Amino acid sequence: MSTPSPSAVVSRPAESGLRAWLAGNPHLRMFETLVRREFWEHRSLWRGPLVVSVLLLVCAVITHGALKIDAAEPTEWLNPQSKAIVFALAQWALTVPHYLVMTLLLSFYLLDCLYAERKDRSILFWKSLPVSDGATVASKVAVACVVVPLGTFALALVTDILFTAIWDLRAVIGHSPELLVWDTVAFLKTQALMFLGLVVSVLWYSPFLGCFLLASACVRRNVVMWVTVVPLLLVIFERIAFGTHWLSSLVNYRTYGIWYDLHLESAVLGSIHNVGPAEVVSLPEVFDRVHVGPAFTNIDLWLGLVFAAACAYAAARVRGFRDET
Amino acid sequence: MTKVIEARGLKKSYHQTHALEDVSFTVEPGRIVGLIGPNGAGKTTALKAILGLTRFDGELRVLGLDPRSQRDELMRNVSFIADVAVLPGWLRVGQALELVAGVHPRFNEARAAQFLRRTDIRMRSRVRELSKGMVTQLHLALILAIDARLLVLDEPTLGLDLLYRRQFYDALLNDYFNEERTILVTTHQVEEVENLFTDVIFINHGRVVLDSSVEKLAERYVQITVAPDKVAQARALHPFYEREVFGRVVMIFDRQANLLEADPGQAAVELAPLGETRTPSIADLFVAKMEAA
Repeated sequence: MSTPSPSAVVSRPAESGLRAWLAGNPHLRMFETLVRREFWEHRSLWRGPLVVSVLLLVCAVITHGALKIDAAEPTEWLNPQSKAIVFALAQWALTVPHYLVMTLLLSFYLLDCLYAERKDRSILFWKSLPVSDGATVASKVAVACVVVPLGTFALALVTDILFTAIWDLRAVIGHSPELLVWDTVAFLKTQALMFLGLVVSVLWYSPFLGCFLLASACVRRNVVMWVTVVPLLLVIFERIAFGTHWLSSLVNYRTYGIWYDLHLESAVLGSIHNVGPAEVVSLPEVFDRVHVGPAFTNIDLWLGLVFAAACAYAAARVRGFRDET
Repeated sequence: MTKVIEARGLKKSYHQTHALEDVSFTVEPGRIVGLIGPNGAGKTTALKAILGLTRFDGELRVLGLDPRSQRDELMRNVSFIADVAVLPGWLRVGQALELVAGVHPRFNEARAAQFLRRTDIRMRSRVRELSKGMVTQLHLALILAIDARLLVLDEPTLGLDLLYRRQFYDALLNDYFNEERTILVTTHQVEEVENLFTDVIFINHGRVVLDSSVEKLAERYVQITVAPDKVAQARALHPFYEREVFGRVVMIFDRQANLLEADPGQAAVELAPLGETRTPSIADLFVAKMEAA
């Protein structure tokens, strides 16, 4: 048994390239610290997605593979032409739980992130550090709009691959019929479609995110009620007082509008194929058919982003001006 | 050397009440200043103004910066403990060190860790698992490891037992304070820390009632336990405060306000025969000032 050299005992573990680079750049180091801080406080942000992945992988191991579509045996619908379609559909189905959980977690995160520090009075500690209100809010925006979405996408992607690998392994050892057959083109196109959906969602729904953040900075209590009941009451009030539907159509538009620009509906309708006796959407084809251009040239997408930025700016100002007692 | 704090005409009101009314004072480097006043006197408001945590009217420079617009820059050279309960419960001790190291250019992580090793606090513990005294120790460890020029303490030992309070101030004096650093303290427990102060500022109803170094206090104020037969004679010299303790009358004289000031020699001559003279404690002086107002 060899004894470690004294220097190895004394010195800290070698810093990775990233850490060394960050250490030399105080602003980046501060920002990285602030982002990590968010995951310390809001542990559900990383635990939630991990739980989803683990559950999906457990399903891959224990579910019995005798899947049937409209009473047809897999052998009937798993012909070479439809293999890619089924494979892509499975990729999509495995990603959806991740995105749903992420949406929920991010909503609650944004509603809580500037509210919790006032509730537990830790804001006086945070304000005793040389961190501006702008940097604080920016770190929360970065977590909600960049770090968590990208992390969720990456985790979903890895989960998809592992899920397929587990299921294929089971097919190889004769444990279950061959249901998922790897198809690189279908995989890449489906993942690209998922990523496109993610990017468009973050951009298009950013006004909601901005409102949540601002509510978190302003509201004294019942943050959730302020972003649910109050808008609902406003919609009803508008309807009764003015007989108009301006607010509800705005919310409606901000919910669905961009998907029409992407021509998603026609892309889906045009990509339906018969797989065995069933009609199934071919997602790689949907990717080929969506119109990315109109979505990103829609001025409302960018105006929404400007509105969200204004909300974040306002949240930082409110945090700065607010009297904490 | 430049002043650490220069406040001129600070005003602040909440709704109808005036928390600060025309408060002016300066703080020099290398001092330990006690900001003392009864509840609601405006101490905390004054501190919050200094730390950029509240809006106010008037002129205020802290280390040459305006706390209203330059708070984050100011916080590189200013540390504060506002209250024992402000560290968030979810934070682990190790994370706290990592966090301050990540955002504070003047924080010495090794020093904070060294300070914590002297306590029972474990790196894995969360703040919510620590006792109140331990949370203060942790906060102090973080603050003492920051090379700041101004340290602001707002009731830092509130709710702590005597042992922790003593340790707190010992650590502050032995491990932190030097002639380049300034400490501003507000506290209710004046008796306990009065030997610490080099300067005191009394504040009441949003106004500065007294602003003096401790040395000057000794020159200016004198307390006499008056002999029973000399009470009338002593009263003729206009004490600004008097009270009875165990049947004996204690008076405090302000040499500046009395004619005595003109000639300190005469003061000794006039006051000494009246009874036992000594310098009033800060606590006594505080009570006298508040009750005289």
